[in-house]
Amino acid sequence: MAVTVKVMHRPEAGETSYLRATLKGMALTFKHLVNPKKVTIEYPEERPFLSPRWRGTHVMETHADGRPKCVACGLCPTVCPANCIRLVGGEDDMGNRYPIVYEIDEFRCIFCGMCQEVCPVEAIHVGVHFENAEYTRDRFVYDLDRLMEQDHPSTLLWDPSDPLSE
Amino acid sequence: MSESATKPMVTATLDGRTVTVPKGTTILQAAETVGVWVPHYCYHPGLSSPAQCRLCLVEVQGAPKLAPSCVTELQEGQVVHTESPKAKEMRQGVLEFYLANHPLDCPVCDQSGECKLQDYVHAEGRVHGRSREPKRGFGRDDYGRDVLFYGDRCGRCTRCVRFMDEVAKDPRLTVVERGNRSVIDTFFEEGLQGSAFAGNIVDICPVGALVSKDFLHKARAWDLDHSPSVCPNCSQGCNIDLHVRDDVVQRLRPRANLEVNHHWMCDYGRHRYEWMNRQDRIEVPVVGSSADGVALEWGLALRQVADRLANAPQPVMAVASASSSNEDLGALAHLVRALGGGEIVFRSERAEKEIPLPGFPTLTRRYDLVPNRMGAEILGMTRVGKDDGTGGLEGWAAHRGTLLVLGDELRDVGVDFGPSAGLYVYLGSYPTPAASSAHAVLPVTTFAEGEGTFANVEGRVQRFWPGVRPPGLARPAWLVLAALVERLGGAAVPESAEAAFLRVAELAPELQGLTYEAIGTQGALLNEPVALPGSRS
Repeated sequence: MAVTVKVMHRPEAGETSYLRATLKGMALTFKHLVNPKKVTIEYPEERPFLSPRWRGTHVMETHADGRPKCVACGLCPTVCPANCIRLVGGEDDMGNRYPIVYEIDEFRCIFCGMCQEVCPVEAIHVGVHFENAEYTRDRFVYDLDRLMEQDHPSTLLWDPSDPLSE
Repeated sequence: MSESATKPMVTATLDGRTVTVPKGTTILQAAETVGVWVPHYCYHPGLSSPAQCRLCLVEVQGAPKLAPSCVTELQEGQVVHTESPKAKEMRQGVLEFYLANHPLDCPVCDQSGECKLQDYVHAEGRVHGRSREPKRGFGRDDYGRDVLFYGDRCGRCTRCVRFMDEVAKDPRLTVVERGNRSVIDTFFEEGLQGSAFAGNIVDICPVGALVSKDFLHKARAWDLDHSPSVCPNCSQGCNIDLHVRDDVVQRLRPRANLEVNHHWMCDYGRHRYEWMNRQDRIEVPVVGSSADGVALEWGLALRQVADRLANAPQPVMAVASASSSNEDLGALAHLVRALGGGEIVFRSERAEKEIPLPGFPTLTRRYDLVPNRMGAEILGMTRVGKDDGTGGLEGWAAHRGTLLVLGDELRDVGVDFGPSAGLYVYLGSYPTPAASSAHAVLPVTTFAEGEGTFANVEGRVQRFWPGVRPPGLARPAWLVLAALVERLGGAAVPESAEAAFLRVAELAPELQGLTYEAIGTQGALLNEPVALPGSRS
């Protein structure tokens, strides 16, 4: 089937002054200047709304005594599709398994949230957070201490009152 | 079938399949021959069957109750169902009982990923347990040696107890208490201290009750690559798997070979793997003395070495290593022959005593602590030096001819080795002071990085496969040596380790007719029976 192409007629520069079209456009611009239904916000004084299911940089949950909840089971580096988690397990002085090294490369991370979903002890979470600017690239590899310091809220991957989305 | 002539056979139906096995075969073993895998804990092919785990029960048509397949012999005309609703319901019930007290600590358990209980419950168990009782706890216990016991995880299959009784013949473990409180324990304070084969109970434990201290929390089972190999720590040549993660050997595990090591290996061999992970390596070929040596790529290095070898000063003397494969040693012998012949010696460590496994004496930690003394000897190399692997090279310092070294680090000789030699070529994996006066240092791969064969103490040639990537430009020694032979006007470089192996047979009639295919994963005996070097003085 032959493709039909609509050929637009564009007046040449000498045929029209474009004055009417320009005025129409400027009218729209000035209308928005006083439009009460504005969409921009005064960041950073005003904060944007982030969904509780927003998946941003990670948070490691801690016990009351400050130890990480992570038990170094190795499921998050296994499930991670971007291969951005480095984990070395060990045993602490109380005989518990814990992560000696736990690093997440936030540049490699694709924020799928599977690490949070797979975690059997609800230790690692993606977070409701987007302000991640740093001066150097190496600051984007978050180590265990940094992950535990993060104070933004953890993501809710599903509605706790309706976990199966029924 | 040759078996049918000697032994009466029985034919039966198993899950709708016809199976013919020698009389006396258990249902479980017969099922394995046709690819039906009956779940089991207490049964192990290397141990007796107490039929106490109750997991391998199968339905035999006509029998009033389910039969434990690990001890029930298959009878003529029997019809067996392993997947019938009755058998499945029973297995689900048994698994639920196992989980009544088993802690669900899979995330922190080292067995996770290779755990039989995990596998079976995932396959057939109930989704949710119904037990409302609190689980009983035992905590963990240090059994001595490399073994740690987590009592909560134990399912009382008693494989470990039976291994110590029947195979190690050193009964140090038993079941104490009864019923819900029964648990494995040691008799005395010393636990497994002094047992030379206790590491095997970690391998045969179907759950994570017995774990290795050395491997504790080191790697997850699903991260490990398994490469079939041969234990390089003595001349017994136990079949093993290298468990490798990120090019680092994490542990050694025995691989079944009923002729050599059954399902076992000794703790001596099991725990000597750290040297495979040594990071100080020779990574590039260096031609020239240590003061003005130049790192070169292989083509240039081989040409320069071959040019010098073409006018090699006589006589030629070589030091080999009994830790090298037959392929490497054969290629060295070919090179020495191409240079006009000469003496090849090797030095090897020897233990003061053998450590036999009483229940399976074929498996013994041998005198020779090198894997391929037999291979070196059938290739005409002579052992020199003392039993600690040193000495024997006292007269070599004044040697003025050509000197070749393959693999031996020459730690005891040091910088005094070879300064007066007319030409000194060192092929090795690790930097050593003894190579400082070498005219060329060529990097070769280690046993864990290459493919090859060892001949063990009884003359069984066994293959090993690479498990780790070689560092830098290191190449297999057979490839380097064969390239030198080719440049000296000899035969073309073999295309593979197998071709290199076939070429070794030209030097040793014992190896003739053997191929990699014939050796397979279980090894093949040398053509001519050879007296055990271990029995020599």
